[in-house]
Amino acid sequence: MLDKKRIRLMARTAIYEKEHAEEDIKISTYYKKDYASLNTWITLIWITVGYGLAAGVFLLCTADSIMEGLTIVKLILLAAIALGFYLVLLIVYGIGAGNFYRKKYGRAKHRVKRYYRELSRLEKMYKKEKDRS
Amino acid sequence: MSNLLVLRERLRMLYAAYSVYILKILQFIMGLILFGTINANVGFMQTASSAFCTIGLAVICTFFPMIVMVLAGAALTLVHFYALSMPIAVVSLVIFLIMYIFYFRFTPGKAWLVLIAALAFGMKVPFIVPVIFGLLGTPVWIVPAACGTIAYYMIHFVKASSAALQSAGAEGMYESLMSFTRQVLTSREMWLMVMTMVIGTLVVNTVRTRSTDHAWKIASAAGAVVCVVVSAAGNILLNLNYSYAVIIVSAVLGILIGLVLEVMFFSVDYSRTEHIQFEDDEYYYYVKAVPKTGVPVPEKKVKHITGQQAADDRESGTDMEKDKMSLQEKDQVPVNSEKAETLKDRTTDEILLTRSLSKELGLDQEEKKTE
Repeated sequence: MLDKKRIRLMARTAIYEKEHAEEDIKISTYYKKDYASLNTWITLIWITVGYGLAAGVFLLCTADSIMEGLTIVKLILLAAIALGFYLVLLIVYGIGAGNFYRKKYGRAKHRVKRYYRELSRLEKMYKKEKDRS
Repeated sequence: MSNLLVLRERLRMLYAAYSVYILKILQFIMGLILFGTINANVGFMQTASSAFCTIGLAVICTFFPMIVMVLAGAALTLVHFYALSMPIAVVSLVIFLIMYIFYFRFTPGKAWLVLIAALAFGMKVPFIVPVIFGLLGTPVWIVPAACGTIAYYMIHFVKASSAALQSAGAEGMYESLMSFTRQVLTSREMWLMVMTMVIGTLVVNTVRTRSTDHAWKIASAAGAVVCVVVSAAGNILLNLNYSYAVIIVSAVLGILIGLVLEVMFFSVDYSRTEHIQFEDDEYYYYVKAVPKTGVPVPEKKVKHITGQQAADDRESGTDMEKDKMSLQEKDQVPVNSEKAETLKDRTTDEILLTRSLSKELGLDQEEKKTE
């Protein structure tokens, strides 16, 4: 006879396997600190690339006005502003990414725990059924 | 109102039963609109702008996650831009990359919101976006709204100056690159619209998350008004020619969509609001509890009387029985018709009220017992 409880449990685990399991299990192989710091570093590298691209586009757009009457003082000032923006961006994204990935790790770990718990419950149900038969 | 709630319940049931098909159909329609709009506006590469390509891409994207549709839309745009002028394709690619790096790396699942924003601009109803995003999303949704606006204006600029860009030769490449970049980054209309989207979405979201009564309605109206005020003020101050008809019509449409979304996602009964106050060792709690309104969908019982059954009955029955039956039928006809008429007279409101009252007073249980 069909066991409704078991079917529900199986459906839930199957949905989880389809939606998140692969990524979550990969995440849960790390320690929380390692996962968050690794991904924060990757984000910072991407931000550097993005900032470079954005600065390139901005320079392309305003090259004429920047080059007009360019002095060493003005150049140093511009470089300082660009560096300041870059550092602010790095700090904002560094903090944001750290929080984001820590939360992501926490959610993934929680789901993986529940998944393993449900698997063990399923195993027990199967055992019970075997014993009965 | 109760009719709307019944309709909502019916739609929910329908969605629950056929969600896979409904989602796929919606995805296909969205793909058709997206690729059709891109091809109609910037279809510079003939092979890519054919109807076959539009439908084919829409069909393929239907069977993949939404992020694939976003990527396909971006790729199709870049292909058309490349056919027109390589520098423009390069600048557009860089802008798309910047969007990806700064936001979509973190939430690739929400990338399709960019499509909604861009399509709303393409369909001349931009101010439905702040209302929808503000009501259903979080403040972070300002990023896809802004990105969608920029993506739309990029396509719009290329379409507007396609003739000049096409005629520019190899020597004019650098010039066209500079002018396109300048056009995109310094367009006052584009930045005004980005600002309107951002402010509108934040206003709607802020009002919607308040605990005031009718927060959703107030949020939709406030968001639409803010959008109209900001865009009209910008239009006047910056000497732009953005159509006031588009501003007003899209704002009104935004309010209407807000009302529909409220019925679909947040229907509560403010007349039965409870204010509760209690305390523990550390805090005083002032709780406002607003009950949800939900109505049971009235069930229709359909009695099938087939021709076969009637024929069997006629064959098996004696003449006397036939007479009895005919007499009974004669008696029943006026009774049934009377019942139908009385049912017609009663509105859905009355039926629902009677049901809820009988439930509350326990009359329905008594009826069951007596049965």
